[in-house]
Amino acid sequence: MLRVRVASQEKWWLPLAIGGIAIVVGIIIAVVIPADSLFRPTTILVASISLMGLGVVTGTAGMIALCQLSFAAVGAWIVEWFSVNDIWGNIFGNFSFVVYMLIAGIGTAAIGVVVGLPALRLRGVNLAVITLGIAAAFDLTLQKTSFPALVAGEHVARPFGLGPDFGGDKGIFIFAVVVTVLVAIGITYLQYSRWGSSWKSVAFSERGTASAGTSVQFAKLTAFAVSAFVGGIAGGLFDSQITQANFSSFSPLQSLGMYVLSAVVGSHLIDMALLGGILFVVIPWILQLFKVPLEWSTVIFGVLGIQALTTGSNLGTDIRNGLRRRRGRALVPTEVGLASSDAIAAVEIPRGTGKVLLDIKGLTVEFGAVKALTNVTLAVEEGTILGLIGPNGAGKSTLIDALTGFLPAHGGTVTLNGVPLDKLAPNRIARGGLRRTYQQDRVPPTLSVGAYMRFVSRGQAKPSEIDEILAFFACPPVRTPLSLVDVGTRRLIEVAASIAAKPQVLLLDEPAAGLSHDEHVAFGDRLRQVPSRYGVTILLIEHDLDLVRSVSTSITVLNFGEVLASGSQESVLSNPEVLKAYMGETELL
Amino acid sequence: MWLNNVVAGLTPGATYAIVGVLLTLMSQLTRVVNFAQVAVGMFGGYISLTLVTKMHLPIFVGVTVGVLVAAILSALLGWIIATWLSEASTSARSAVTVAALLFLISLAFILFGYRNQPFPTIVAGPLFKLPGGAVVSKVTVVVIVLAIVITVGSWAFLKFTAFGVKLRAVSDRQMAAELLGLNVKMLNVSVWFVTGAIAGITVALVGPSASNDYVTLSSVVIPGAAAALVGAFRRMDLALIGGLAIGAIQGLFAGFPNLLIIRDWVPIIFIILFLLWNQRKEVWDVAR
Amino acid sequence: MSLKLNDVTVSRGVGPVISNVTLEVTPGEVTTLVGPNGAGKTSLLESLSGVIGISGGSIELDGVDISKMSRRRRSHAGLAHVQQGRMIFPSLTVKENLQLTARTKADMDGALALFPELEKRLDSTTVLLSGGEQQMVVLARAFASKPKYILLDEMSLGLAPVVFLRLIPVIEQIAKTGVGVLLVEQFAHLALKIASDALVITSGHVSYHGAADALLKDPELLKKAYLG
Repeated sequence: MLRVRVASQEKWWLPLAIGGIAIVVGIIIAVVIPADSLFRPTTILVASISLMGLGVVTGTAGMIALCQLSFAAVGAWIVEWFSVNDIWGNIFGNFSFVVYMLIAGIGTAAIGVVVGLPALRLRGVNLAVITLGIAAAFDLTLQKTSFPALVAGEHVARPFGLGPDFGGDKGIFIFAVVVTVLVAIGITYLQYSRWGSSWKSVAFSERGTASAGTSVQFAKLTAFAVSAFVGGIAGGLFDSQITQANFSSFSPLQSLGMYVLSAVVGSHLIDMALLGGILFVVIPWILQLFKVPLEWSTVIFGVLGIQALTTGSNLGTDIRNGLRRRRGRALVPTEVGLASSDAIAAVEIPRGTGKVLLDIKGLTVEFGAVKALTNVTLAVEEGTILGLIGPNGAGKSTLIDALTGFLPAHGGTVTLNGVPLDKLAPNRIARGGLRRTYQQDRVPPTLSVGAYMRFVSRGQAKPSEIDEILAFFACPPVRTPLSLVDVGTRRLIEVAASIAAKPQVLLLDEPAAGLSHDEHVAFGDRLRQVPSRYGVTILLIEHDLDLVRSVSTSITVLNFGEVLASGSQESVLSNPEVLKAYMGETELL
Repeated sequence: MWLNNVVAGLTPGATYAIVGVLLTLMSQLTRVVNFAQVAVGMFGGYISLTLVTKMHLPIFVGVTVGVLVAAILSALLGWIIATWLSEASTSARSAVTVAALLFLISLAFILFGYRNQPFPTIVAGPLFKLPGGAVVSKVTVVVIVLAIVITVGSWAFLKFTAFGVKLRAVSDRQMAAELLGLNVKMLNVSVWFVTGAIAGITVALVGPSASNDYVTLSSVVIPGAAAALVGAFRRMDLALIGGLAIGAIQGLFAGFPNLLIIRDWVPIIFIILFLLWNQRKEVWDVAR
Repeated sequence: MSLKLNDVTVSRGVGPVISNVTLEVTPGEVTTLVGPNGAGKTSLLESLSGVIGISGGSIELDGVDISKMSRRRRSHAGLAHVQQGRMIFPSLTVKENLQLTARTKADMDGALALFPELEKRLDSTTVLLSGGEQQMVVLARAFASKPKYILLDEMSLGLAPVVFLRLIPVIEQIAKTGVGVLLVEQFAHLALKIASDALVITSGHVSYHGAADALLKDPELLKKAYLG
């Protein structure tokens, strides 16, 4: 299971293989173990599936949802309703239950999307409490309406005509194994897909996600939908086991407990979700064996939870780190060698085609009474590198925020190749050809280099092109986890990814900040080639004036939100006003 | 008739309001949503119950000890969080209180057994009749007054005392406060202590009339959180109004048996819509 | 009696941001650190007050090693840190901000004497004040704690030069009362005028350490450090 994490591209069949083996093992267990001992193992699997769902919305996408068992209740309810009313029974025969479960999953997913809507505007604890409030309201409703089977006084017909007796319990266990394996495989593949990358990205930085061209709303709602789907499946499976559900199995308090368990084990990892399921069932069982009151199990969970949360780690991470150390794979950050060579250094500062690509007219940004930008007019010529400099607080980052759609209330106009960008959302602007990097670290450490590159470039670059860009900037290869890469190199990867997206214009906000002086020089050498080699026009914000001088076709100076000077390097850098702005002299002295 | 129901709903409503105000205070001052807020009070309540019924101590002594226990338990939890999670996010800190909530409920089962016993009554009986026949009980008035006193008292304490200024400073900028030499840990723990004590007092007052199994009692934190949500965990006045409104609405709908399902959903849906409307202007500002 | 940095190195993430800094801040004198941005000056100040830790060397305040002390203890030992970005307590009034550090009325009056224009804003919540007024509040607040040493981080950031000019003589005043001042500034010229000792930090290293007016008298030296 460990290797699946790193070698996703090459061993794509690994999850399927492991799943197949798991099913075989499950069948062996079902044959060997007496039927009356199979109840708990089945419950373990049901709990594991619920934890996997939480692992998606909370563990991966970073949104605390405290209603996971409510989703299970919905799933169970839908399955029971279809079963009690014997819908399409004659069409599907013994497969009816499976059909009902699928419908339950889809129905619960739809509800999950509705529950996720507040997440588009509300975050953190506000969102958590809302999901808890929904769970509580739903619990009260369930207490009143109850479940269809209970109301009808019936028991749900088990799948495939399995009987309610112990013989049926063996079949149910195998059924549970198959369902768990299918869910686990599905989630594993989803985690590696674009959806999974968008979840990890949105958990780390919403701004970074939008600037990568991905809709934050879509990422959040799909996370909720998948976790609800999985929750609904768990509920349906639970119903196949007990055949008659009631509200007490799905209380808000138990949803809270599930959340703590998920946080303790780190259930976004499939094997950890399984471990969580085992803990959930086995610990109370062991206590029962020793005639200890059952409540001690929750005490244990409580203490474990407090311990895990105070150390900020979880069992999954601890175990994986421990195993890595034992195998000798120490967590040494990979070193990067951005070195220069004469060949690379020989390229000249790019000259433009003369056509204006990014046209900024009269850009004004005000935060209340504070004028961050006043009447900024700037034209970026195709094929050039424009250096934007100015003292701290001059408004450079505000300018980039305004250009890329994060300050929709700005005055003035911004046009890219004739297309106005003013009212567009940040992810649309990114997809429309204007990309940016960030001064702060917005590269999610939970992805691999390759997954991040693919996520940002959105299919614009072939795998060979991605490898080539990474090599050009001396970045680690695609299989490297970003958590092992230092901050300075992560910024380079951000630059590489943005270039791989093939934008028309790329805004770089202090990309070399984490690099040593020699690496600054090497970076500059490579940056000079970007317009001609990749067809990307660059606007560069930098404090290192050596770097700016080595790459810029033209320079613009910003001071207190206004353009102080703009033009060729020679004219701007010898301008006494510019020197004064940097050194703090004023006419009053 | 319906007025009677609404009035009956004001007792739980005032309880939600108190819990909501406490949660708001804690959220503002100690960056935590304290899911164990009522559970500590529950635990203290059962300690006093044990002292009064098993050891035959006078009610006053039993309740005082119970309130102290609630305060100390709360302070202990706060100390753990302030020591090991002092720079962690609100979510991480709040998650620890969830674990503590489960811990306290289970410990209550273990220590106090499974059978429910009635709490010793401190305040009971009707106080006066409204025109129209609705009866207002003493407990209702006492709890509403307590809710108002806590809200106004906290506001006044924070605004007018030197200690309150320090608390507000820590709430604004913890690092800057530390650099000025303020004892952030002690300030945090004292807030936990006081809110724990208030929770203990509230449970002692409403315990007799409310359901008193460990789970139901501790779960009052959920509608309390809904009340705090009305003020976005920032405004105590809205939490107070929100709590009373939730109680009143629930009471009102109790008179319409066929609308009971809607009654369960009205508060949370209203709160969600209110919050979304309140935050409609902030799109990217608060996003990382 | 001084604030001594012995070969201090500060690291963030995977590497050092500023290395091998040795300097001494004496009471009554202003020492200034100048240099381009990203050079590690803020990180150095943060390591002195305990916001972050040092990865090498040691810090002594009046002979006592404070490298491992908590932020609170360093503050009580007489170290005041005026952080970058005007860290007022936004919901508190000017008076309340000052009350946090001023123990007696005399201390409060002494702090307000630095900036008489704050008198009429005493009951305004500081979030409503202008940038310059907020900077005055944090400076007054630090002074009111009667520190032995004050660390000032880029007070001019986002302020109009006129406003910053108002603050410069106040810093001199504070130093004259016997406080040792360590001043980090982007606007080198003004800082050098009031400092006795100066260090230029470029790319995480000390590239010059000497008398401030020597640097003032040699503009070429300074220009090289900034513009290369």
